[in-house]
Amino acid sequence: MTEPKSDVLQGTLDLMVLQTLAAMGPLHGYGIARRIEQISEDALQLNQGTIYASLLRLQQRRWIAANWGVSDNNRKAKFYSITRAGRKQLAAQTDNWERIAAVIGRLLRLSEGR
Amino acid sequence: MRAGWAVLWSKCAALFHRRTDDFDDELRTHLAMLVEENLRRGMTPEAARRAAMVRFGGPMQIKEQRRDERGVPIVDTTLQDLRFALRSLRRHPAFATVAIATLAIGIGAGTVVFTFVGAVLLRPLPYRDPARLVRIFETNPLKNWTRNVAAPANYADWRTRTAVFTDIAAYEQFNSTGSGASEMFLTGFGEPQGLKALGVSGNLFTVLGAAPLMGRVFTDDETFEGASRVAILSYSLWQSAFGGDPAIVGKPVTLSGRRYDVVGVMPRTFFFPGRDVQLWTPFGYARDLIPRSRRPHWLGVVARLKPGVSFEQARQDMNRIAGELERQYPDTNTQMGVRLEALHESFASEPRTALLVLSAAVGLLFLIVCANIANLQLGRAVSRARELTVRRALGAGRGRLIRQLFTESLVLSVLGGAIGFALAVVGQSALTRFAASAVPLFAVVHIDRGVMLFALALSLVAPVVFGVLPALTSARREHVTDRTESSTRETRGLRNLLVACEVALSIVLVVGAVLLLRSLERLRDVDPGFNQHRAVAFTMTLPSARYPDAAARFNAFAEIERRLREQPGVDAIGATSTLALRGFTWTGDSTIEGRAATDYERELRHMSTTADYFSAMGIRLLAGRTFAATDTRDKPQVTVVNQALARKYFPGTATEAVVGKRITFGRPQDNAPWVTIVGVIADEKQDGLDKPAEPTSYATIAQRLQNPLTFVVRSAAPADAVVAMARRTVFAVDKDLALTNVTTLEDVVDGSMEGHRFRTALLSAFAIIALSLAALGIYGVLAYSVSQRGRELGIRLALGARRPELFRMVIGQGLRPVAAGAAVGLAGAVALTSLIRVLLFGIEPIDPPTYAVAITLLGVIAIAACALPALRATRVDPVVALRDE
Repeated sequence: MTEPKSDVLQGTLDLMVLQTLAAMGPLHGYGIARRIEQISEDALQLNQGTIYASLLRLQQRRWIAANWGVSDNNRKAKFYSITRAGRKQLAAQTDNWERIAAVIGRLLRLSEGR
Repeated sequence: MRAGWAVLWSKCAALFHRRTDDFDDELRTHLAMLVEENLRRGMTPEAARRAAMVRFGGPMQIKEQRRDERGVPIVDTTLQDLRFALRSLRRHPAFATVAIATLAIGIGAGTVVFTFVGAVLLRPLPYRDPARLVRIFETNPLKNWTRNVAAPANYADWRTRTAVFTDIAAYEQFNSTGSGASEMFLTGFGEPQGLKALGVSGNLFTVLGAAPLMGRVFTDDETFEGASRVAILSYSLWQSAFGGDPAIVGKPVTLSGRRYDVVGVMPRTFFFPGRDVQLWTPFGYARDLIPRSRRPHWLGVVARLKPGVSFEQARQDMNRIAGELERQYPDTNTQMGVRLEALHESFASEPRTALLVLSAAVGLLFLIVCANIANLQLGRAVSRARELTVRRALGAGRGRLIRQLFTESLVLSVLGGAIGFALAVVGQSALTRFAASAVPLFAVVHIDRGVMLFALALSLVAPVVFGVLPALTSARREHVTDRTESSTRETRGLRNLLVACEVALSIVLVVGAVLLLRSLERLRDVDPGFNQHRAVAFTMTLPSARYPDAAARFNAFAEIERRLREQPGVDAIGATSTLALRGFTWTGDSTIEGRAATDYERELRHMSTTADYFSAMGIRLLAGRTFAATDTRDKPQVTVVNQALARKYFPGTATEAVVGKRITFGRPQDNAPWVTIVGVIADEKQDGLDKPAEPTSYATIAQRLQNPLTFVVRSAAPADAVVAMARRTVFAVDKDLALTNVTTLEDVVDGSMEGHRFRTALLSAFAIIALSLAALGIYGVLAYSVSQRGRELGIRLALGARRPELFRMVIGQGLRPVAAGAAVGLAGAVALTSLIRVLLFGIEPIDPPTYAVAITLLGVIAIAACALPALRATRVDPVVALRDE
């Protein structure tokens, strides 16, 4: 717990959830949260519960769909999967993200160099 | 964009399906999975559960966060505020009742006035594209004409020469008052029935763009004699006289003894030019009558602008034509100009000022209502400060608190508005009955969607006006400790300011109401020039089909008069061509013997009466004699003139000396026969009690017959009995004659004041309400202040202050905002009341007694409102007051 952790930006979380579903196929909330934690190697400060707000937002935009199913150990769970609109959105957001990341990166290097 | 709609849709759907959300299940599964994971790592069940909760992040917060995301938060919280507001109002029934009742009065009064404004000024006339319709009048400074009916020949020339109108139509206007319609008699359907019928040009309905409900409208050809006689019925006549007969079109009816074919029925909403007209018929003039009638004026004119032509262009073109006609016919058209008025404005020109003044007044009243409720709320806010600060401490944001207070205001307002609307419905129908003739003939006052929307709008605007101030001051308090002297003092200052505003606005209303009341009083004191008591009047028209010439008509009228005179109980009887206070019918030029050949009078009113008319009316004879039985057709023409004529035509001549002078009814070059003045009578009012009588010449019907005549029967018997007797007597002469415009002279006088009485009554009511509200405001602030200062008053008493001193002190404190408000209000009244100058009679807007009355009234009410709290202040028991706390 001593390692520095970052808060998650709201839009970023939506993007991570979309990417996770695109990469892994249908997952329940717990699965998505675990997957994001693993990928970030616990560098992100994430209350698992917060992904539900994100899931709801994405659902309202029809970028993901939800269905009740049964988990590996026989629990009733809601499974989320990415829709076609969601994939389009993901592609657009990814481009956008990379552009912004590159700009911010350059900007930060620039100020360091002074 | 699509995503945006999807979100909106899903959020709205969520509002209705909040209970079916299965998030709880999902959450439980998630937590269970986390616990399992922790157990796998070897935690104890208890530790596993706690760790799971920490990692998940507080299920309640998550739920809350998700709920905000899911539905529409503002709707959720508004519903919550709404429930809360209703609960809190139920807990304070006294406050709620006063506030809602006040609002109901404010909104109700506003709505009532709006029903009249809407009916008269706003509701579009029932014609196609009514904004393109224009009324054309003739003007002539030589005759003091500013909006006179047109000469038929001029009308005909306008029609052929115009470049700006698609067409110009005309209708008969034989009377200066009412719709100008004349009488026709429908026979063959029970008792003969007098109808208001209007002679029109064949193109009238086409110009108006009014389609019939059934049948057809007139054709241009039908304007003239020779075509078959046709008639169009109004919807109400079709219903009342013909029982809504669906096959009425094409059927013949007998009107004034002649056969007419019904060719059409107009829709229920149609009217022209007033709602009292029941029937339209084409003029039926001989083809050459219109082009050769350039001297007499009797046509109302309405025209439709060509597409793309502006009102101003039309005015210029009509001025051009009038100029051409003036050059072409100097004999008749010297200085004859035209005046164009938009049709709706023209119809509404008379009641417009009164309605605007009433609207302004009701606007002030509405502001007073709002100030009063703001005041009440401020008073309550101080006692609520605790509740609000607690809510604040528990995390309610300032915006959230303001919104909640605002919702409360809105609830009050909507409840008040609903009751106010009900009041308006009742008030409106009562008012229209109370002052039927105050509403112009073309307008129908009723509650429609516009009125409802207006009431709703008022209910929504009110809380913005009265709710903002209290909400802002209440929500500002940060801490519980803020509930100190300084904040209550600030509130008190605000409340005093509101009281001052209320007083100022009330003063303006009171001054306006008193001015109107005093005018009405002056108007009542005006001598109408005749005796209005114990006399009935009714009009009779002799149909020309059966009374073709003057001799036949004279004989019939004389016979009717003779038989009526013999009836028991009849003290006097006479007849006139135009009854007092009903304006005039005919005017003309007049030459006075002995003046220069170019010098003549241009506006002489002509009336014809029977010999006994003056004594029957109780009109005083000032000099000479009235008509005698010897003034017959073959004798030299004689006239009786009124005092106005004697003064204007023979200035500087004693009244007695006017008798024996001679005048003619025409210009010097007309060489009309001389008429000898045999008597001068006192003026009887013609155009209204508030207008001076115009020079009038009376002729005896034996020498100048007019048709119709209005009979005046003076009798001590009840009016109904007199009318029934008159009806029997007339039927005995001719069973197809009908009595119309049946009334008592008292009602004639009363009716002429109706418009004035209507606005006086409304404005007085507003002023009374305003004063009561101001009194309530003054009382409320002072009473609260006394209750807060109990301790201070106790100390003062204990230190030796005497009770009368305390009483004076409290009264003085209460009157300070009153005095300030009164000063501002009086200044405002002085500035504003010049606007109502046109509505006043016999007094100036800056009328010292009026202001004195207003100040006294306000002073008495303010002192009364202060007295109760001040008395309570003197009853403070110092011991109790000091022990308190």
